Amino acid sequence: MTTVNNNAYDAGTNSLSGKEFADEYFKEENQVVKESNTVVLVLKKSDEMDYIVDEMLEKIFKKENPSLVIEDRGGYWWLKADGKIEIDCEYASEILGKPYSVYDLLVDVTSTVGRAYTLGETFTITSELMGLDVKLQDVEQGEGK
Amino acid sequence: MAISLATQAATDALALNRAPTSVGAQEVHKWMQDFNWDFKNNRTKYPTKYTMANDTKEQFKLIAKEYARMESVKDERQFGSLQDALTRMNAGNRVAPKWGETMKVVSNFLEVGEYNAIAASAMLWDSASSPEQKNGYLGQVMDEIRHTHQTGYVNYYFSKYFHDPAGHTDARRVRTLGPLWKGMKRVFADGFISGDAVECSINLQLVGEACFTNPLIVAVTEWASANGDEITPTVFLSIETDELRHMANGYQTVVSIANDPAAAKYLNTDLNNAFWTQQKYFTPVLGMLFEYGSKYKVEPWVKTWNRWVYEDWGGIWIGRLGKYGVQSPASLKDAKKDAYWAHHDLFLLAYAVWPTGFFRLALPSKEDADWFEANYPGWYDHYGKIYEEWRARGCEDPSSGFIPLQWFVENNHEIYIDRVSQVPFCPSLTKGASSLRIHEYNGKKHAFSDEWGERMWLSEPERYECQNVFEQYAGRELSEVVEELWGVRSDGVTLIGQPHVTKDGKLWTLDDIKRINCVFKDPLA
Repeated sequence: MTTVNNNAYDAGTNSLSGKEFADEYFKEENQVVKESNTVVLVLKKSDEMDYIVDEMLEKIFKKENPSLVIEDRGGYWWLKADGKIEIDCEYASEILGKPYSVYDLLVDVTSTVGRAYTLGETFTITSELMGLDVKLQDVEQGEGK
Repeated sequence: MAISLATQAATDALALNRAPTSVGAQEVHKWMQDFNWDFKNNRTKYPTKYTMANDTKEQFKLIAKEYARMESVKDERQFGSLQDALTRMNAGNRVAPKWGETMKVVSNFLEVGEYNAIAASAMLWDSASSPEQKNGYLGQVMDEIRHTHQTGYVNYYFSKYFHDPAGHTDARRVRTLGPLWKGMKRVFADGFISGDAVECSINLQLVGEACFTNPLIVAVTEWASANGDEITPTVFLSIETDELRHMANGYQTVVSIANDPAAAKYLNTDLNNAFWTQQKYFTPVLGMLFEYGSKYKVEPWVKTWNRWVYEDWGGIWIGRLGKYGVQSPASLKDAKKDAYWAHHDLFLLAYAVWPTGFFRLALPSKEDADWFEANYPGWYDHYGKIYEEWRARGCEDPSSGFIPLQWFVENNHEIYIDRVSQVPFCPSLTKGASSLRIHEYNGKKHAFSDEWGERMWLSEPERYECQNVFEQYAGRELSEVVEELWGVRSDGVTLIGQPHVTKDGKLWTLDDIKRINCVFKDPLA
């Protein structure tokens, strides 16, 4: 039996079809929003992004956060994880073999559901309420490129 | 040569503390807060009932230099793909005919939203007092200008390479003709730029962008690819790379008012109104365009909506803000019903008035009908049988003398237009969350399809005075209206809109419509 990860594109109610889907979708308990601790990231496919997805997110970050799901949706990669997803652009630069800043990464970051921010050369999307529960930080002198 | 003591002192000081040869972008950004001060009064031209804090931060820490470099790379990649690889691959002629028609609407209507968002984000720049928050809004102003060009370029590109360019070529001139236009103006214009500045931010950024751009600009690319269109993903995925900063702007608007007592009083009502305003149009229109405007289906629209709108936007944005008093929108239950049925209701009406379109529509094929019934049990008995009747009466053929609008008249299915959303509805046929209610105000009657719009109208009736298409065209014969509002092709007689997409099918002309003698009537007159 295959288990579907809760964060998969077609998990939960969307795994059902026809009448079964309608029954679940219209259930009274599903008529109000339910708080979620997940984040969603959409990355446009490109030379650099395909490499980052394969070499960093799939092979390394997923070990840190096994809830991460990465799906190929045609023109983009769709990612969902509990808590947060982080991309270190200094490391991305090493594996790409060329200078690659966090602003180069933003060229192909297509969408976010969650609080996304940059700090130095790190891009983070988190379920934390940045600016409310957690203060947004500035770089230390000499850090930001 | 001897140097002065002062010069010597400066030289020694510089030797100890060398002046930086370059400063990092985020360090420059950090200095932005130095431009802050406490305002006695916020002298904005665009006031708000909320007080926006003046220390609100910006999540992406962008300065002009990095912004310009980033956007120029995006444009080089996008235009490079379009003008080089996609043209050589003959991409414009690989698009499924139905989908090429759908893009006449999607790209052109989105252009209007982007254009109005320029003004909306500039307004917010003026309303906010925090330098970082202003910087975020300012970046958005420039993004929206870029997006206006990009969406216009999609229509331009299709007009050069798609097999039936009419509609792509002159969408800006003809788009006001049909009943979809005014509803689009309500969400994409009025909702973004009229009224309280923070309420506009909630409409534009927290709901329009954080919620509905994901289906409208991201999910649409999957439908496009499935239907042979690689032009749309090339442009739309590039547009959306700016949207994440706009979503952050919307969230930071909420952060900036979180400690204001006015938020506890007004925010939930404003959020519910914005959610209903945006969903009332986007939910049926996007569902209709995806499902009825494609040959190859990706997934039922209701699943796209359930994922992006209900589970992710609802759970990750709104649900997480629960501890700050933000509640689940009261209209959510009705919105969910709409997400299941309202696009089917709308297509029935859109097809009935196909001559007023600047795009071609097609009746669901047998394969489509099976797909609809499998995914929306009950679809065939309610909608499918009607399409079979229309097809049997020859609605696609100009010699039949039949357009489906006549069927509505013959069967006493009156069509109304909701005053607030400007979305048409037929109370006797609807399965979405619509039911008829009528009010009279200043000697004029107004129809409403739901309690949420009705409530907005009752509190501000003067805001929703837009004349609907039935009032505008009352007493006019259909072919006259189509001709007057540029709904014909370059030969001056063949309609741009057609009730089929077959390349060898006969095309309807103004004379074919005139013969039917269909005269517009205002149901409330």
